[in-house]
Amino acid sequence: MTTKADLSINFCGIKFENPFCLSSSPVGNHAEMCSRAYDAGWGGIVYKTLGLEKSFKIVMPSPRLSVYNYGDKRFVGLQNAEQITDRPIKDNIADIALLKKKYPNKVLISSIMGYDDDDWIELAKLSEDAGADMLELNFSCPQMARKDAGHRIGQDYESVSHFTEVVKNACKIPVMAKMTPNITDIIPVALAAKQGGADAISAINTIKAITDVDIENFTPLPNIKGHSAATGFSGPSAKPVALRFVSDLYNSKKLNLPISAIGGIETWIDVLHFLLLGGTTIQVTTGILRYGYRIVEDMIEGLSDFMIDRNIKSLNDIIGKAAKKIIDPSEFNTRYQVVSVIDEEKCLGCGQCYISCHDGANQAIQFDTDKRKANVDEERCVGCLLCKHVCPVWDCISYKEVDTEVAKHAAVF
Amino acid sequence: MKKNIDRKKIEQFKSMRVSLSLQDAIKESNRCLLCLDAPCSEACPAGTDPGKFIRQIKFYNYKGAARTIRGNNILGGVCALVCPVEKLCEEKCSVMALEDPIDISGLQRFASEYGESYAIEPLEKSLKNKGKVAVFGAGPAGLGCASELAKMNYDVTIFEKEKDAGGVLRWNIPEFRLPTETINYDLKNLSDLGVEIKFNSKINSPDTATNLLSDGYKAVFLGTGLSEAFKLNILNGYPNALEYISFLRDIKTNNNKIKIKGKNVAIIGGGSVAIDSAVSAAASGAKKVYLISLESLQELPADEEEINLARTMNIIFKAGSQVTGIVSNGNKISGLKGIEIEWIESGKFIPENARQIQGTEFNLNVDLVVQAIGTAPGKELKTFASGLKTIGKGTITINDNYETNIPGVFAGGDVANGGATVVQAVGEGKKAAKSIDSYLS
Repeated sequence: MTTKADLSINFCGIKFENPFCLSSSPVGNHAEMCSRAYDAGWGGIVYKTLGLEKSFKIVMPSPRLSVYNYGDKRFVGLQNAEQITDRPIKDNIADIALLKKKYPNKVLISSIMGYDDDDWIELAKLSEDAGADMLELNFSCPQMARKDAGHRIGQDYESVSHFTEVVKNACKIPVMAKMTPNITDIIPVALAAKQGGADAISAINTIKAITDVDIENFTPLPNIKGHSAATGFSGPSAKPVALRFVSDLYNSKKLNLPISAIGGIETWIDVLHFLLLGGTTIQVTTGILRYGYRIVEDMIEGLSDFMIDRNIKSLNDIIGKAAKKIIDPSEFNTRYQVVSVIDEEKCLGCGQCYISCHDGANQAIQFDTDKRKANVDEERCVGCLLCKHVCPVWDCISYKEVDTEVAKHAAVF
Repeated sequence: MKKNIDRKKIEQFKSMRVSLSLQDAIKESNRCLLCLDAPCSEACPAGTDPGKFIRQIKFYNYKGAARTIRGNNILGGVCALVCPVEKLCEEKCSVMALEDPIDISGLQRFASEYGESYAIEPLEKSLKNKGKVAVFGAGPAGLGCASELAKMNYDVTIFEKEKDAGGVLRWNIPEFRLPTETINYDLKNLSDLGVEIKFNSKINSPDTATNLLSDGYKAVFLGTGLSEAFKLNILNGYPNALEYISFLRDIKTNNNKIKIKGKNVAIIGGGSVAIDSAVSAAASGAKKVYLISLESLQELPADEEEINLARTMNIIFKAGSQVTGIVSNGNKISGLKGIEIEWIESGKFIPENARQIQGTEFNLNVDLVVQAIGTAPGKELKTFASGLKTIGKGTITINDNYETNIPGVFAGGDVANGGATVVQAVGEGKKAAKSIDSYLS
C-alpha cells in the first residue's frame, strides 16, 4: 500500500482532511455535483454563491465563456460572464443540508452575496442553520448584473467592513471574505474585512479581462448578441497574478489572517506554490472546468509524495516559506552576478538563444554556424537568462555565479 | 504528425494525401524551433525556404507563406506532394533531436492550398525588357528556369514537344500521388508571369539551338529531361513487355489501352518509378504485382514512404533478384525466370556486379512486364545543336554555371544530371536562369 502523508490542515478551527477545495462557481452548483466532488477526494467545497431571488433575479448571459489561447495551446486562460447562482434559495439550502448530512466529515463553506444588511443576515443564518461549516462573503464577482454588488463592494473598504460585521454578528460560524484582484492594493480591503471581524481571507477572485476579439465582425468575445464586457479571467495564465496577491496578504503583518488561495491551480505543484506563498487551503474552479474533479487524485498523491520525500510532517511546516523571501526590488543584492552556461552536448543548434539575446538582450551569444552550436560570451553576458527561457531543451542552459566588481550593464557597440 | 495515406483514394486514382486542417497546421508549425540558420531551408535544392514559410504559418500569416512558396518555387504545389522530404528538408530538421521532424511537406501543402483557396494576387508579369530566351521542355527544369527568367523581366518562350505542360509531372507521376489540378495551379502561376509555351514543338531540324540564337533569342536553356526508357534485351519484341513511361502514361491519361485488371504484372526495377508502376498496376486491379529488383529491400532507391505504399498495396517484393529469362507462349511472354543475387563488391548496384546465388531460381507466371530500369535523354537531342557535348547515356555535359560547350546554350535538370528529383530539377533550372542572366548582363 502506498504510504500517504497527512495532508490535513486546520483552517479557522475547522479540520480539512486535505486543503483542496472547490471554489465558488458552477463546479459546486448543486448537491449531486458536490457529492461527486467529495467522492473524488476534495476536502472541502465552497458552494456556488447564494443570493436571494426576491432581492434580485439572476439571469445568465449566453454564451458566457471565452478562452485565451496561445499558439496551439488552448485554454491557457478562461474568461467567464457567469454570476452567482440562479437557483432558488430554498433548493440550494436544501442541497447544503443534504450534503452536510451525507458528508459530515467534509467541509462545506457557503458562499453568500447580499445587497443590503437584511440579505446578508438572512443568507448567513440560512447557511448556518443548514449546517455550513463556514461562510465566504463574495465581495468580488466582477460581472454582477447589479452595479451595487460583487467586486464594486469589494473595492469599497467601508462596505466590506460593514457587511462583514453584519454577517459576523448574525452567526457563529467562521467568516472568510473573498477579495477582488481588480484593485491596485489588496491589503486595505483585507484589513477592512478584518476590521469587520473576518476570520480568514480568500483570494483571488477573477481578473477583469478581455480574452479575444472576433476579427470577422470586430466584436470582443464572448459575443453576447453583438456585445461583450470585460469579465472574470482565470486559469493557468492568471496564476502569477494570484500568487502575487496571496503573498501580499501573507506578508502583511497587520493582517495576519489565514488565507484560502485561489488562481489557476491544476497540479500539486501549483498547490505547493500557493502554500509556500502563504495559502493554508486552496480552491479550484478552472482546472475542474477543463479536466474534471478527478484532478484532485493527482494533487493528493503528488503533494503526499512530496511531503514524504522531503520529510515534511505537516503542511503547517511549509505554509509561507517562500513568501518570506519576497522583498522589495530596491533591496536586491546587485553584487550577485551570474552568466549563462550552455551545455554543448544538449544544444540542438537551433539558435533561438542567439536570436533572443541578439534582438532582446545584450548580444552575448555567439553562434558557430559550422558546428551549429551556441556559446556564451561571458564578458558580455549580463545573466538575464533570456536564453535559458527560450531554449527548447529545458535543461540545456543553466547559469553560474561570477566575480564582479561592478554590476554589468548593457554594452554599447 | 504525418497524416496517413488514404488507400481507398489510391484505388480511385485520387490524391492519396490528407490535407492538413487549420488546426493541424497551427499545431505542427508550433512544434518548429524557428532555427536561426534553418537547415531545412538549406537542404531544399529549389530554395523553397521552409524555415520562412513555417514561421509565417506559426504567426498566422498564411498568405505570406503561400507567397514564399510560390515565389521561391514555381512548382511549390507539386513539390509539396512529390518531394522525398525525408531525404531533404525533413532530414535536416533540428526538432529531430527531440521528437519527430516537422511535417514540412504537409505544411507546404497547407500553405499552397490556402493561397489557392484564398486567391492570392497573381505573380507580377514579366516586363519582357531584357531580351528573349528560349527554354526547351516544360518539365520541372524548364519551368524552374523560365519562371526565374520571367521574374528577371526576360521574354521567355518555352518550346514543349507535348500538347500540354508539365513533362513527367503530367504524364508519368500517378494521379494519386500528384493530381492534375495541382500541376495546373502551379502552371497558372507561370502563365501569370507572362511565360509563353509553344506546344507540339518538336526538335526536328538540325541546329535548332543555333537557329534560335540567330533568330533573336539571346540564350537557350535545355530542360528536356529523360524520355528514352531502357529495355532488357531478352524482352525485346514482345508486345506485353512495356517500359514504365508509356505504361504510366496510359494509366494517367485514362487511355486504358493496356489491360491490367485480373492480370499478373511484373515490374522490373527498384526506384520511385518502379514503385509508381507497381502501385498503379495494383490500383488498376491487377491480380498479382511483383517488383523484381537487383537491390535488396534495404538498398531500394525508392524512398521509405513509397516502399510502405507498395506494402500497403500488397506488392510482392522479389528484391535482390535478377531476371534471367522468359517463358513465352507464341509471341507473348507468359512467365519470367529469375534468381536471387548478391553483390560481388558491396555498394555497387549495377548488373555487372551481381553474382547469382545457385539454388534460388524461381519462376513467375506473368501476363504483363513493365521495365523501370532507367532512362536516357531523347534521341532527338542529337539534332539540337551540332557538336553538343554529351556523356554516358547521352546526358548533356555542363559546367558549374549550367553552360554547355555551345555558347549561349545552357542545360539543367534530368537531361544534364542523369535523373534526380523534381525539386532538384527546379533548383537547377533556377540556377541556370541566374547564370543566363549573368551571361547576358
